[in-house]
Amino acid sequence: MNLLKRFSATDVSLSGIFIAGFLLLAVTSGGTLLTGQSLQSFFTYLAIPILIGLAQMVVLSIGQMNLAVGAMGGAATAIMAVAMTEGGLPIWLALLVGFLSATAMGAVNGALVVMTNLNGFIITLGTMTILLGVQYSLVRSFTIDSYSEALKGFGRLGLGPIPYIFLIAILTAAVLAFFFTRSAPGRRILATGGNDAAARLSGISNKRSVFLAHTISGMLLGVAAIVTISSLGGINRSIGGDWLLLSFAAPIIGGVLMSGGTVAIYGTVMAAGVIRLVDIARAEYSLDPSVVSFTIGIVVLSTVTLSEWRRRRSEVLRQGRKVLE
Amino acid sequence: MNDALVATGLSKSFPGVKALEGVNLTLRPGTVHALLGENGAGKSTLIKVITGVHAANEGVLALNGEPRTFASPVDATRAGVGVVHQERNLIPDFSVEENITLQDPPRKNGIIDRAKRTEQAAAALKSIGVDLDLKAKVQTLSVAQMQLVEIAKALVTKTKVLLLDEPTASISGSEADKLFEVVRVLRDSGTAILFVSHKLEEVFEICDTVTVLRDGVSVLESADLAKYSRSQIVELMVGRQLAALATRLRTVDRTSVPALELISLNTSLGHKNVSLDVHRGEILGLYGLVGAGRSELARTVLGLHSVLSGEVRVNGRAVKIRGVGEALNSFRIGYVTENRKEEGVFLDFTVTRNIAVTVWRRIANRFGMVRRSGEESVAAKFIDSLGIKVSGPDQLAGNLSGGNQQKVSLAKWLAAETEILIIDEPTVGVDVRTKAAFHELILDLADQGLAILLISSDLPEIVNLADNILVMNGYMVLGELENTKNYPTISRQVMGMIHDVSVGN
Amino acid sequence: MSGVDRRVGGDWQHSLRKLGSSQQVILLGTIIALFIIFNATNSAFSSVDFVLFPLIRDTSVIAIVGLAQLCVLSLGHLNLAVGRMAAVGAMSAGFCYEVLQAPLWLGLLAGLATGALIGAITGLIIVASGVNSFVVTLAMDFALLGFVSFIYMTFTDASAYTVQPEGMDQLRQGSFADLCFAGICGPPVIPLMIIPALLALGSVGCMFKYSRTGRELLATGSNLKAAQLSGIPVDRRIVLAHTLSGLLAGLGGVMLGFVNGSFSAAIGDEFLLPSFLAPVLGGTALTGGAVAVFGTFLGALLTLLIRQGLVVQGIGLEALNITLGLILLFALSVGQIRKRKFTMRKRSFTMLKRRAIR
Repeated sequence: MNLLKRFSATDVSLSGIFIAGFLLLAVTSGGTLLTGQSLQSFFTYLAIPILIGLAQMVVLSIGQMNLAVGAMGGAATAIMAVAMTEGGLPIWLALLVGFLSATAMGAVNGALVVMTNLNGFIITLGTMTILLGVQYSLVRSFTIDSYSEALKGFGRLGLGPIPYIFLIAILTAAVLAFFFTRSAPGRRILATGGNDAAARLSGISNKRSVFLAHTISGMLLGVAAIVTISSLGGINRSIGGDWLLLSFAAPIIGGVLMSGGTVAIYGTVMAAGVIRLVDIARAEYSLDPSVVSFTIGIVVLSTVTLSEWRRRRSEVLRQGRKVLE
Repeated sequence: MNDALVATGLSKSFPGVKALEGVNLTLRPGTVHALLGENGAGKSTLIKVITGVHAANEGVLALNGEPRTFASPVDATRAGVGVVHQERNLIPDFSVEENITLQDPPRKNGIIDRAKRTEQAAAALKSIGVDLDLKAKVQTLSVAQMQLVEIAKALVTKTKVLLLDEPTASISGSEADKLFEVVRVLRDSGTAILFVSHKLEEVFEICDTVTVLRDGVSVLESADLAKYSRSQIVELMVGRQLAALATRLRTVDRTSVPALELISLNTSLGHKNVSLDVHRGEILGLYGLVGAGRSELARTVLGLHSVLSGEVRVNGRAVKIRGVGEALNSFRIGYVTENRKEEGVFLDFTVTRNIAVTVWRRIANRFGMVRRSGEESVAAKFIDSLGIKVSGPDQLAGNLSGGNQQKVSLAKWLAAETEILIIDEPTVGVDVRTKAAFHELILDLADQGLAILLISSDLPEIVNLADNILVMNGYMVLGELENTKNYPTISRQVMGMIHDVSVGN
Repeated sequence: MSGVDRRVGGDWQHSLRKLGSSQQVILLGTIIALFIIFNATNSAFSSVDFVLFPLIRDTSVIAIVGLAQLCVLSLGHLNLAVGRMAAVGAMSAGFCYEVLQAPLWLGLLAGLATGALIGAITGLIIVASGVNSFVVTLAMDFALLGFVSFIYMTFTDASAYTVQPEGMDQLRQGSFADLCFAGICGPPVIPLMIIPALLALGSVGCMFKYSRTGRELLATGSNLKAAQLSGIPVDRRIVLAHTLSGLLAGLGGVMLGFVNGSFSAAIGDEFLLPSFLAPVLGGTALTGGAVAVFGTFLGALLTLLIRQGLVVQGIGLEALNITLGLILLFALSVGQIRKRKFTMRKRSFTMLKRRAIR
């Protein structure tokens, strides 16, 4: 009972949709979805939507947005690839450098937002452009694939049909969930997002929360970059190009408010799963890839519209109740 | 016993307004002290000075005998001065226990210690005898419950002095009783409590001592409440500061068809059976306390909220108004809003544009083009006639003083040549001189034949201006009085209606 | 005393505002200076055919796209689907030319109409749902991306409409040198494509400066609540702004189609950043309530001048992005300091509103 209470209505319905969709696809595909190969690819390509969705969610939790998710991930991936090929760094060091640079990018976003007092939207629009330039100048128009086969092979390893990189994504989500539910800094970020005036009166530094949220977003994109480089056979300049819309879709469908103050880690993960299912269905029925973005666009639009209406209705109800009392 | 908090000679001025002048206040442990005064008397400013939001220009604040200055609200809280504001200062998505311990959550190595958190919050709630679900999210609570959470939150930080700013303004009678129980528990445990309220019956119910502010001056300082009667307190609060203002005797033709008439109006917001009528040249005063439903009534007339039953008549014709644009263009009704900065003026527009906003439609040519000179001539006329102090017609409205912003807000409706004007709290936060000028202005407008519905919580203002007075409370009309302009009688009658007592003659 | 201080503050603000319009003077100065520098360092830069003519032609397109963004910025809204609306506009023009064999003007009209329609739908969704423009236009972008590529994939062979109606080539290549009156011809460096841009600048500028509608848009952007209580039909104005944004985006898309010589799903892909850069560099506020129409043209010109200049210098696309991003951040930080006083005030209001939880 207590455990069930922790899940919101959105969580429950998303889980339902995911399970139903998964079963439906498994049946209509004649069971091919359940073979080791298909399952593995399903989970492999689920890791990225989860991670970038979480990266966006962290910034949404303070009521801002990060337009640079794709560029940050892409640039970090490029840095890793170049560090290994041209820099000759060992794998672990290259991955660390990439992860740290993604974190630094997030920190710079946060610092700029705090210092200029500008909205995260516009700051990250600027850093997005800059980082795209960095990414392109590192990768140019080539595909970098001369790095270690061991790393590429890692993407295919796993516990049975469940690849390690998916487990990394889930583990990251779990750590993030712990951070937001149990740690003092996590709670402070949510307090800032929920009511910054009240947070300030309680001695919380809103600036620190904003900075921290952007930095964590960078860290998550660093993890996303590690997952990307180890699940793909090579790196080119298009990495991260289609992340932006996806990064908003997962948390928004998952029940995160644009106005800040909430996170929904389970919801974001589940929404990423549902999005992945749409992708699988597309492949299964050999539909055009455009169908996926169209569907996601419509779903996001109806989700936010519905939740806004629900919010307004509950507000009216509450007002009515107040007067009745 | 030592006094918990002593303020001596506090003064605070804002550009153009002297909000506090040499105010003294003494709070003793184990007592509930009432802070009374009308709107604009300086109560909120005093609270803000005590809690470190504003710094006083002059005066000393001593806590437990030691002089202190608070640099910020957090500073004040740490020193043991807690406050429960009118606005809720809670994190909506957090649980009750987390909100209570937000200031300094118990933690081990940066991880929140949940068991200890529950323990602390439960202890805080228990100490005030309140039973709430500690795990419930604050956004699911009622306003009254949220208030109790805020009190508990203040207690966790070892509060010695607790300020309650109009705690009963938006809660029901039975909820208020619960709140008073909590206040008594706190008093008995030795906390010094400052209780700000408009509701005299509550004050007499739970307060021991009293300070009354009027126009930023403490006219009664830390006196024993038991020695005063309600009517004495009322007279101290309202004073006779308007005696200096010219009260003009006016005659209104009330036989004509009313310009605006409401008949048994019931609204979606909860107004019940509201009827009123305003004639050309008449000023109808709509008096009531904050939250009585007056502004909401005005907005319903403008079509911003829906009418469930009853009728709105303009010049005798039953009408259905669907929005401010229609109210203005089809029925010549204007509404001067209460929150001028949020709803009245465009701060980053020039004064000219602010005034011309309602006449664009009228002065536009066939192609919808508006000539700047057209705007300027309209604006110049009203800058001149209302005496708006500007450096030039292109000055930004955001750079004007409060009173001048209010004039700009009024000017746009005069420019629109409205016939019915609803004016909502015209003089909140403006100084006495501007106030007097404003009153002259409103009287002149009525003399020119406008029908004016004047909403105000400032009784002297109503008495000075209105021809008839309508008293509202709880979204209902309590009664209508003919204004004899005899302030003592009227104030007794009005206060009597609201506080449901007959104040001694 | 305090009254005098206020007055002084007013004058100071006032002169800062005056300086605001001189932001365009600074912009123009920067453009001229950069032009001279680029010219001095590389003689190839003064080539009419390869540099200047395409530069002005691209500026025309981007200025229109910037205006599309400016229309919603006037409300304090954003249009993230500006590129995709352009793609839809271009697509319907291409459809008219290829499938219906329509003349040039009819396709252009169809592009404008579809753009406006999509914009109107976007505006209606925003008004009806109360969801902020960012999410709505983001989702719209998503949906249109799918829609556009689906149409091209399904109904064309080469993922593009390639039929060129009569007159399109002249319009693309044509310059003022082709316009002769009494034997005097215009300069060959000014492309004919600048005409729709000038028309758009003129009408949008006129709307904001002289018309009731334009003023009402700005009032809505400056203070929504006050605008509503002043009798301005704010919902209708919001729909209108998004409709205009769609219309102009459609125009920009069709024009890019003319420049490219074909209509494909890739049209509009590169529009998003410049659509913000042009108006914002020109002096338009992101918070709404103030626009700089002519500045938008200068902003577009500056953006493309830098791009073209760096390309001629042999600097790659990569450094270009970095430069543009830095310019955006710099220009905005400067603009922010100018605006700070008011945005801070605005912010404290929204904070107050949010604080009232119930």
